[in-house]
Amino acid sequence: MLDVRNLSYRYPHAAHAALSDVSLNIERGQILGLLGPNGAGKTTLISHLSGVLQVQHGDISINGVPLASIRRNTPTRIAVAPQEYAFYPMLTVTENLECFAAAGKLSGNIKHQRIAACLASSQLERFAFIRAERLSGGLKRRLNLAIALLPEPELVLLDEPTVGVDPQSRAFLLDAVKTLAGNGTTVIYTSHYMEEIEAIANRVVIIDEGKVLRDGTLNELLNEDVTLVRFALEKTTAENLSVLLARFGKVEVVGEEWQVTLAPGRTPVALLAEVEQAGGRLRHAEFGHHNLEHLFMNLTHRSLRD
Amino acid sequence: MLFALIKKELLALIRDIHGLTALFLMPVIFIIIMSLALKDVYSPPVKSLPYVVDNRDNGRLADALLSEWEKRHGKSEQISTDWSDRIRSGKLSYALIIEKDFSAELVAERPSGAKQLELITDPGLGDGVFSAHHVELIMIATELRAQALLGAIHPVPPRSLRSGKNIPPRASAISVSAQALISAERWSAGSRPTAVQQNVPAWLVFGMFFVVASLANLFLQERQCGALARLASLGVPTGVMILSKALPYLVINGLQAALMLAVGVWLMPLLGGDALSLAGIHWSALLLVLLAVSMAAIGLALALASVVRTHAQASALGPTVNILMAAIGGVMVPKFVMPEVMQRLAEFSPMNWGLEGLLAVLLRGSDMAGVLMPTLKLTGFAAFMVIIAAAFFRPASR
Repeated sequence: MLDVRNLSYRYPHAAHAALSDVSLNIERGQILGLLGPNGAGKTTLISHLSGVLQVQHGDISINGVPLASIRRNTPTRIAVAPQEYAFYPMLTVTENLECFAAAGKLSGNIKHQRIAACLASSQLERFAFIRAERLSGGLKRRLNLAIALLPEPELVLLDEPTVGVDPQSRAFLLDAVKTLAGNGTTVIYTSHYMEEIEAIANRVVIIDEGKVLRDGTLNELLNEDVTLVRFALEKTTAENLSVLLARFGKVEVVGEEWQVTLAPGRTPVALLAEVEQAGGRLRHAEFGHHNLEHLFMNLTHRSLRD
Repeated sequence: MLFALIKKELLALIRDIHGLTALFLMPVIFIIIMSLALKDVYSPPVKSLPYVVDNRDNGRLADALLSEWEKRHGKSEQISTDWSDRIRSGKLSYALIIEKDFSAELVAERPSGAKQLELITDPGLGDGVFSAHHVELIMIATELRAQALLGAIHPVPPRSLRSGKNIPPRASAISVSAQALISAERWSAGSRPTAVQQNVPAWLVFGMFFVVASLANLFLQERQCGALARLASLGVPTGVMILSKALPYLVINGLQAALMLAVGVWLMPLLGGDALSLAGIHWSALLLVLLAVSMAAIGLALALASVVRTHAQASALGPTVNILMAAIGGVMVPKFVMPEVMQRLAEFSPMNWGLEGLLAVLLRGSDMAGVLMPTLKLTGFAAFMVIIAAAFFRPASR
């Protein structure tokens, strides 16, 4: 459905490219989780898709039609719910929906039907005549999403849609996104909450410094090149455990947990046996499956970002 | 604790470069402009005011009066057939009309009562300058009359007359003042030029330009919250976004104008002031000028909103530009009391174009043709500003 090829972009006067040779594709009805630290290039990519930025190098197409042509002729096929509350705080929920529906060229019965449908799907009916500035954070997020869905877009770009909301609202929003995809809408979902991506994404793209570091289904990413053994001990009876473990590969200590990236030829069974022989009593151990946060942190090298 | 909080306040002030600009640079510029503009306010440049003379009297005293006037105000311009139109349009400041019996009446012991010398001025001439000219004419004429009367009684006044004692009854009953012979009038469109008539146009223009800060800040708010980017992503053209901002403010400006005119017409008399008179004005010309002023103000606001990046910049720049344009443009200090250089500078201020247009309608009774030039200037300025706004328009903050 969406095909991005070799997309590069450099802001005026910037020392480095914000996007560098980015390629990805996504099928209809899929949810693509877009992960990256701050400044990685996520917003730049979304800004291209939403038409705020023009393509400098590369191509973007939807069903084979260039993005520029779609933006020119049928811009409402793509909708964006930005990270900010992109609506008018002094207007009521309904007035906001009416304003953006008209901006999306909806009129007459269709406009009223879509406003009613979006109010219902975001469960905002009770707040229809409340000014947006008086809504709670969760309700504002729901309104942000409802506005995006007004023109029934084929592709929805959700940029950090759950920032600052309570767990109930977050669960509601995640369910809404899954329902959306279930109805055939393609979703690109950016978030810093890894568990959200794990919960809803079919595909995950990790980008950093403008480059795609990983692109695949969630399973592919979580099971790729797994050589990491993680375990915790009830008590550290083993002396010189670091020296012992170093024979099996690269050793790291994260909190109470030991992490060993196995060297070629080494097995987790041998490693754990050695630990027990040295007097260590295992509390838990894990092998054969990354979690997304570990993978993300490993790929982006843990360093703090701007 | 107090020290830490004061330090914080100072750091915040120092790092707000736009706020500092408004705090320091604006007063400095304001002082310079106002000082230059007011340089001659206590000695208005009356000598340089352009005037004409229509002398219908062949008498010696008319020549003597004009000779004295020329010494004080410089030579008059050559009178033309359209001198009255030129006064109404403000191209000439005044005319002196000397009737054919001026000299004879001036020496008559009992003048007939008919006005023999008329001072006719531009309706835009300020009260002070108008009164000064009127009084000066009376003074010169009275001096001439006194000399003539004394000469007629005694070529050499007797000792008793010089001492003020024993003046003959006949001579003491004669009025020396020439005031009754002289009239003064400011031409206008059927309305009496008052302070209100002259001030309302100035503050109306100033008030209409106040939309600059309001519009610019709302525009920035929309851009920063992402609403503009969202509208752009829905395919709303830039022109439509700009127009949707401009049209409501056109209505706001219209309401502002109606309110301020209503205050002049109805509220000012209730407060003991003069009433603004709209009698005899060309309404179409008034609407045209108001529309042009509004377009210029909105154009400036749109350009400002597109060029600046933050609310701080808009909040500092908007009022600064407004006040400086008003100071330069004759809103705060009438243009005719400014020195020559400042008068030339005033002609570059859009507020001055608006003010000239409104004065033409409200004081001079100009029609559409009479306000064409200021209207064209304002419309051109508005168009230029909209082009800047479109060129720098960014739906998103980054």
